[in-house]
Amino acid sequence: MGRRLAIIALAFSAVAPLLLLGLWSVGDQWFFPALLPGRLTLESWRHVISSRLAIEATVSGVVALATAAIACALALPVGRAMARLGGWRRRVAAAVAFLPVAAPPIALGLGLQYAFASLDLTGTIGGVILAHVVPATGFLAIYFAGVFTALDPRIEDEARSLGATPLQVWRHITIPIVKRQIGDALALGFLVSWAQVPLTLVIGGGVVRTLPLAVYDYVRAGETRYAATGALLLTIPPMLALLAARRERVAPL
Amino acid sequence: MRVAVWIAAPVLIGALYALLGALGLVGLDAHGFTTEHVTHVLGAGSTWRGIGWSLATATVATAAATVVSAALAITFRGTRIGDRVARALAAVPLPMPHLVAATLGLLVLAQSGLVARVLYAVGIIHAAAGMPALVLDRFGIGYMATMAWKEVPFLSVVAMSVIATRGPRLEEVARTLGATPGAVLWRVTVPVLWRGLAPAAIAVAIIIAGSFEGAYLLAPSSPLALPLLTYERYRTIDAARRADAYVLVLLGLTLAALAVAILEWVRARWDVD
Amino acid sequence: MWRGDPSINRYVDDWVAPRLRQRFGITLNAVPGQGAELVNTLVVERDANRRFGTVDLVWINGETFFNLRHEGLLYGPWAGRLPTAAEVDSASPIVSRDFEQIPQGYESPWGTVQFALVYDTARTPHPPETYEALRLWIHAHPGRFTYDQQFTGLTFLKCLMYALNGGVGRFQGGFDSVRYTEARDRTFAWLKEVTPDLWRHGVTYPQDIAQLDRLFANGEVDFAMSNNQNDVVTKMRSGVFPPSSRSYVPRDGTIANTHYVAIPFNAPNPAGAMVVANFLLSPEAQAEKARPEVWGDGTVLKGDTVAHRFAVPEVAPEYSIRLQDDWRARIRR
Repeated sequence: MGRRLAIIALAFSAVAPLLLLGLWSVGDQWFFPALLPGRLTLESWRHVISSRLAIEATVSGVVALATAAIACALALPVGRAMARLGGWRRRVAAAVAFLPVAAPPIALGLGLQYAFASLDLTGTIGGVILAHVVPATGFLAIYFAGVFTALDPRIEDEARSLGATPLQVWRHITIPIVKRQIGDALALGFLVSWAQVPLTLVIGGGVVRTLPLAVYDYVRAGETRYAATGALLLTIPPMLALLAARRERVAPL
Repeated sequence: MRVAVWIAAPVLIGALYALLGALGLVGLDAHGFTTEHVTHVLGAGSTWRGIGWSLATATVATAAATVVSAALAITFRGTRIGDRVARALAAVPLPMPHLVAATLGLLVLAQSGLVARVLYAVGIIHAAAGMPALVLDRFGIGYMATMAWKEVPFLSVVAMSVIATRGPRLEEVARTLGATPGAVLWRVTVPVLWRGLAPAAIAVAIIIAGSFEGAYLLAPSSPLALPLLTYERYRTIDAARRADAYVLVLLGLTLAALAVAILEWVRARWDVD
Repeated sequence: MWRGDPSINRYVDDWVAPRLRQRFGITLNAVPGQGAELVNTLVVERDANRRFGTVDLVWINGETFFNLRHEGLLYGPWAGRLPTAAEVDSASPIVSRDFEQIPQGYESPWGTVQFALVYDTARTPHPPETYEALRLWIHAHPGRFTYDQQFTGLTFLKCLMYALNGGVGRFQGGFDSVRYTEARDRTFAWLKEVTPDLWRHGVTYPQDIAQLDRLFANGEVDFAMSNNQNDVVTKMRSGVFPPSSRSYVPRDGTIANTHYVAIPFNAPNPAGAMVVANFLLSPEAQAEKARPEVWGDGTVLKGDTVAHRFAVPEVAPEYSIRLQDDWRARIRR
């Protein structure tokens, strides 16, 4: 009985937010205490194409893809190296790698603003990408450390002892084994950047406009319709990607 | 290990500039060395109330999310259809950004929000003011509820993974030794789950404490959460007070570093690997 | 520019920008940013020797201009060179002085507005006409009034300060610390007296004007405020306010002021910025902007200026700065 209730609650929790956002994105004249909007209008959705929302979504996508790729490339070797450490060294390495993730993004952004400005990076897309790479790399390094811990390093060692160069080991052994995890890591890195607000706000200097910043501005301006539309654009793609990834995979449990 | 240091380098650089800025040497109020900003911020009650509020709400929200996630993982650990459906459903809201969760929290829990309108329709309250203040309130109840709800998917996935990988062996042993199902649950399953979940829970608490968007939309103006206080100082029209933000940045980074140290210490004590 | 108001955004993005593109080949990219962030960004960029800045033209007034000039962050003087500058109503004290500072060509006027209170005729048929009447109204309707923590709320506090301390005349002629302290104490005494009957008992205040607007629209409080007495029209149209909303100015007077555009010292394209500023001043652009359905922003040109009722000019920016600091320290705690 309790199980059934819990399943219903989970289903509600998964579906209701999207439905609510959908309703808020088309509701007009919807003041307290009305349970339903006074009018429905597709104005904000029509505006998506003609307005900046489409551009902002594209910028977000580009930044997030770049962040994912760069962070993945940096974090893979680091995570592998971390997996080979033992004892206290490993603890310290894990702590150090987690620091950029744990640091409050607003603090990180303000601290880095000066350095980025002197490198002419503030107010540029490149600067925003680099800023996002900071927490993303830390996050993925820890992820890869976990991945490589579970793998047997002896395969690589054997290949080395048979005369393979480090590069060959990478290309033919290491990467193929963790192909699926690389895919997951790219998705995680994408998500870290896709949802980011404070770092983009500070380093972007107001010039680089991403989708989450647009939603943030709409919410602050009280434009609920546009905010809900933007929020759906922000939430649905990652959810679809997650569903697709799960379906491909054999359920581990 | 040196390589891992490179990953944290940006944080260290940021901390260095924040330190220089806090001392008036660079940045927003760079008129020469001064300890005025440091003393002003460290001596202000609002600083410590803000830090206290951020830490307290993050802890409570995480505790709630952890309990719910653990309960979900234990309840739905089987292989029946119902279990698999439940596990999949629990993970669906995982990719929802903090910003969207906070927006929903605001629209649902405000005194003129969805819950209030339902209560009004049913006749339990008769005006918006009749609805208890759950957002923008000094206890941060709506804020904590929203943040907890947002983190349940992540913690559930971790919890389910822990139970699946570490549970069966020990539980098997306990059963062969004659333990009752209740004893197995409370003396084996829960402790194992707790130890595996604790690092993830601490990480979640750290993230919540540093969250900006969530606090901006749902938190009260007094006590003002640390990320908001930092941002407000940065934007204040009083130019002389702007460098205070750097001191707050340093405080935030220091607290994060401490929390990470605690996290690793916990992991060292309780991790099987 | 501040992008918190979609009507203003629409005017800039959908009316001004296309014409700039057609007539001058200028692509206008309006990005969000407000006074304080702007000053910070420019200070950091200057200190870090950033070669080219990121913005060409900024929308500012009073306190921001004060800070930017003080730090030497503005390009100029240039405003007097614009062809349309001759049309500007420089005789008006509201246009020619920005918070008692003389622009000296470092900023060009764009529009004028006056602060007003907003109420719902359906809920409040007879809004209080003076601040004393407001005080009594607050006590008679506990929990139904509040003000925000940003620019609009600060303007409300200033209007209150002038009215409670013998009128704005006493505050003109530069900043006087003694006069300020007396005035502040009287104003805060008034605030503290009404605090228990404010929304949420004055323990928390809306973060920004949008939160206050939301409270008003949803019936949690009975008053909103605006620095522009005409934007009630645009907000009703976009569904932010209920259709029965109106704005009004209490008899005790509210602040009318002018907002300007300026060019940062490191603007990559100052010439283009000047063309834009010139166009913004053109009679055509000013007329369009003044239409209540578009923005309702007052014109700064000669001859067209509508006399503001009960209008009161801004005074030295230090008053605003000190008032906000003290409010945060003493009222909000």
